[in-house]
Amino acid sequence: MTGPRRIDGGAIDRSETLRFQWNDRWMSGHPGDTLASALLANGERLVGRSFKYHRPRGIFSAGAEEPNALVTLGKGAAAEPNTRATVAEVFDGLYATSQNHRGSLEWDLLAVNDLLSPFLSAGFYYKTFMWPAAFWEKLYEPVIRSAAGLGRLSGRPDPDSYDHGFLHCDVLVIGAGPAGLMAALAAGRAGARVILADEDFRAGGRLLAEQYEVGGQSGTDWASAAMAELVAMPNVRFMARTTVYGVFDHGVYGALERKTDHLGGVEGKPRQVLWRVYTKRAVLAAGATERSIAFGNNDRPGVMLAAAVRSYVNRFGVAPGGQVAVFANNDDGLRTAKDLQAKGVDVAQVIDARKGEVVVDTSGRKGLRRLMLKGGATVDADCLAVSGGWSPNVHLTCHQRGRPVWREDIAGFVPGEGLPDGMVVAGAANGTFTLSGALSEGHAAGAQAASDLGHGGSAGEVPAAEDEESGVSAFWHVGESTSRAWVDLQNDVTTKDIKLSHQEGFRSVEHLKRYTTLGMATDQGKTANVLGLAILAEASGKTIQDTGTTIFRPPYTPVPIGAFGGRARGKHFRPTRLPPSHTWATEQGASFVEAGAWMRAQWFARPGEAGWRDSVDREVRMTRGGVGVCDVSTLGKIDIQGRDAAEFLNRVYANAFLKVPVGKVRYGLMLREDGFVYDDGTTARLSETHFVVTTTTANAVLVFRNLEFARQCLWPDLDVHLISTTDAWAQYAVAGPKSREMLSKVVDDLDLSNEAFPFMACTECTVFGGTPARLFRISFSGELAYEIAVPTRYGDAMIRALMEVGQEFDAVPYGVEALGVMRIEKGHPAGAELNGQTTALMMGLQGMVSKKADAVGSKLSEREEMMADDGLRLVGFRPVDRSRDLKAGAHFLTKGDPADMAHDQGWMTSVAWSPELGHSIGLGFLKRGSDRMGEVVHAYDELRGFSQDVEVVSPHFIDPEGGRQRG
Amino acid sequence: MGKISLSAKPVLGGVSLEIGGNKIVERGDLALVSLAAPMGEEGAVSTAVRSTWELDMPSATMSASSGEMHAVRLTPEQVLLMFPRETPDAEPFVRDALGAVGYTTDQTGAWVVLDISGPETLAALERLCPLDLEIGVFPVGSYGRTSMEHLGVALVRLAEDRFLLMSASSSAASFLHAVETSYRWVTD
Repeated sequence: MTGPRRIDGGAIDRSETLRFQWNDRWMSGHPGDTLASALLANGERLVGRSFKYHRPRGIFSAGAEEPNALVTLGKGAAAEPNTRATVAEVFDGLYATSQNHRGSLEWDLLAVNDLLSPFLSAGFYYKTFMWPAAFWEKLYEPVIRSAAGLGRLSGRPDPDSYDHGFLHCDVLVIGAGPAGLMAALAAGRAGARVILADEDFRAGGRLLAEQYEVGGQSGTDWASAAMAELVAMPNVRFMARTTVYGVFDHGVYGALERKTDHLGGVEGKPRQVLWRVYTKRAVLAAGATERSIAFGNNDRPGVMLAAAVRSYVNRFGVAPGGQVAVFANNDDGLRTAKDLQAKGVDVAQVIDARKGEVVVDTSGRKGLRRLMLKGGATVDADCLAVSGGWSPNVHLTCHQRGRPVWREDIAGFVPGEGLPDGMVVAGAANGTFTLSGALSEGHAAGAQAASDLGHGGSAGEVPAAEDEESGVSAFWHVGESTSRAWVDLQNDVTTKDIKLSHQEGFRSVEHLKRYTTLGMATDQGKTANVLGLAILAEASGKTIQDTGTTIFRPPYTPVPIGAFGGRARGKHFRPTRLPPSHTWATEQGASFVEAGAWMRAQWFARPGEAGWRDSVDREVRMTRGGVGVCDVSTLGKIDIQGRDAAEFLNRVYANAFLKVPVGKVRYGLMLREDGFVYDDGTTARLSETHFVVTTTTANAVLVFRNLEFARQCLWPDLDVHLISTTDAWAQYAVAGPKSREMLSKVVDDLDLSNEAFPFMACTECTVFGGTPARLFRISFSGELAYEIAVPTRYGDAMIRALMEVGQEFDAVPYGVEALGVMRIEKGHPAGAELNGQTTALMMGLQGMVSKKADAVGSKLSEREEMMADDGLRLVGFRPVDRSRDLKAGAHFLTKGDPADMAHDQGWMTSVAWSPELGHSIGLGFLKRGSDRMGEVVHAYDELRGFSQDVEVVSPHFIDPEGGRQRG
Repeated sequence: MGKISLSAKPVLGGVSLEIGGNKIVERGDLALVSLAAPMGEEGAVSTAVRSTWELDMPSATMSASSGEMHAVRLTPEQVLLMFPRETPDAEPFVRDALGAVGYTTDQTGAWVVLDISGPETLAALERLCPLDLEIGVFPVGSYGRTSMEHLGVALVRLAEDRFLLMSASSSAASFLHAVETSYRWVTD
């Protein structure tokens, strides 16, 4: 025997003993035990402290509805607080601790709160701590926060891993109790693809906890036989330890599968998997949850739901007490007493509310000792099995705004109108509480679902079973009780709190919930809600139906945030794109920067350089002075082919493309429909019907999507075909006055003279003796420059070859930081200027917007406000005090004007320190900027405390005539 | 400096992994060329493909194969041809073979192609793939496009427990990590 309370029978494996720790004390259990059953077997009744009053609390239920027995499992970073002991399986080495106490569980210092309870009623913090106001944030709130809550997070990263997954089926059966098993059998036998999911680690539901017979055998044996049949069907998948926690659109259900929790974790494997289940039909067979009756001091350890008592006795072989009394308003009371007696447990008394017998109060400091009945009689008992009736688990029927309806005959809410599409409800979840009814309904639901989907196999027969009596008579609370009577054990809400809420005007059930916290936190009021509603209904003189329920939302039971995150954490939070030169750049000691999903080389530090500025300045100087190489493969590349390719481009770009000659590149400006600038880039014409468009790195996907939209929806009559080639080509910029000379040693048999291959020329060619390539004479740096592309799988070899050839010319690799410096020096707009709020006119590119062509955005770009003469213009800036650096983001003010938005003159978009000029330079938008050359304005940044005078200059800081790039 | 020539290298270096009896192999031997039919010439392109390789054009959901030539459909007007070829001339090869009836684009380097197989393949894909891969729904030869771990993926079923997975080559390392992790998490 593992513990003083262990009795014979049950579905535990007594051949194996498991050792676990509870509050650092070693205890024993068996496979098949939950932590709750093992604790009870070991005689532990006090397992936690209550939320607000820190009252002693014990195990209340035997399932997911547990409001009391919340414990912390594991230790250190892996510790998981607020886990229900009633669903945690015992395993060898399990480490569990109680929570929400200062000092030991037995001697909790914060139990003083219970003495202060007259001051801590519902909403007390709204009424107290009002003065002095300054104390709220500094004193009251920190103290309340520190005292409140249940378990505590470790504050360290979760060392466990989690995963996501996708499943598909014809019929999802939620719950493997009698109705669910029958539904799965019927649908599976008929030939449907079935997933049967149950939060328990063993199928059977209440059959495991009761003494019913099904088809002439015990319920447990029938459940085992049903499972054996289901597991043998290739079209059925049983998922134990899996909670279907939510219903979403289009037949999608969320399910959390606990993979290794019961094993204490498995190194290298995910602890839990969050499944997205796509199903055509769902049978909700989630059963029902028993509820309590509110009477004085009904929260002492030892007060337990009657169904839980039967579970512990029948399924787990544990007597929850030595002397058990029963208090019920239905036939489960007698059933509980019979089961207890059958197991040899002493039944102290059965108190039947239907006969006017009630428990008025209880006593026992850290656990139940005695009951006080109406009329003054007392009963000695260390366990009280309470049943106030059953509440069907309708939660999932409400996830798409379905509203349950009240059934007086069973005193419970059942699913109403507005079930999620494809869902049917069977068994106790549907208010059908008899076993034979549950089996029949489950069978019918499964068979119908399969039949609806065209599966015509035989669904088999329904086994015979009892049609046991329920005989419930609504009874919510004991009016004679003068002590506090608990409704919501998890949130310490009493009958008095509910009445107070009503008295103070919080009469809607939604207001009641917020005011009292009834039904919040991990159990979401599974045992408390209906009780609370009934008491509110009584206080307000309404019916329960009219009082209504709060909205049930996912998740049905708590889902760890880690499970929602899945494997997306750390550096695998999202995918990374690597350009073809990445391996080589890593070898070169490059520093990298994220550009969208891309990892781009930012600069290449060399020995002796004190910081990034040294590296960047050197890369800029050596490129402008000789030659530099930069991986520009990240730019979007789109292959456009078709007889109408030129016409298509003419319509999507603001400037003309019809007459671009073969072998030429044209800079293109793309507008949005509203006339603002969308993207820019170069487009090369490789043949009459073949163009290669480049986009900015950031907009590559968006531009492709836009072009596809234009192709498919705007002009489906054009013969145009698109395909992305961004990843197909490794493309390197080779820039600087020596670039021609260097490239002449790279390309095969190609005349690179200015006459033969001028600025904006392009061609297909080969490099290094036959590797196919494309060569473009374009320049982002403002220097004589080229971009050379080879198929991606030659990209790594190409960068190594380029740098080998480049040795002769002191070629330097440069990163995106030097690229940015050079484009600012040249005055080329980039992301900071093309931010979706700027126009061609603002950037001085209005000449590119063709007046003849009817291109996307061209008409709306001519709107009056967008053409205003006093609008913002892109200009350059340099500090009056050349020793000072500029800051992007600063706003411009006319000198002497106050620093407010009414006097705002524009903003600085991009800044860089120019190695060429020896001082900081900037680009920015300034009102009437192009008319204000030479004016000194004030650059002001209140956020960063930056303020200085800057001079307005041309945005083209170097080579404004473009002689270098054309040379 | 000696004479330089460039060597091709698959984006994952031709990775080949074995995880609990399952295999992940990068197919660096495959060349990929897209073929689009000019408007009004779809029949001519189909005819040319059939006569050249005895290959029927693939449907939206089924790949087509003939000998070493495989094809999947990218858009209503565009297919992707896949075939073993070592030299970097796959695009002109297809163009010339078809007599320039369609628009061709070399896509070899644009994709990483993983050939995955083994008894835990379906279990591994359950952790990645939103598509229903039940054999009756997605039989051998089926082709689908989806996303896995935020990455666009095209997949072809080669056998009950064998698939070709194709994703963007620039994110090949992340994709391999996703596939490998799935296998490692479902195998003992």
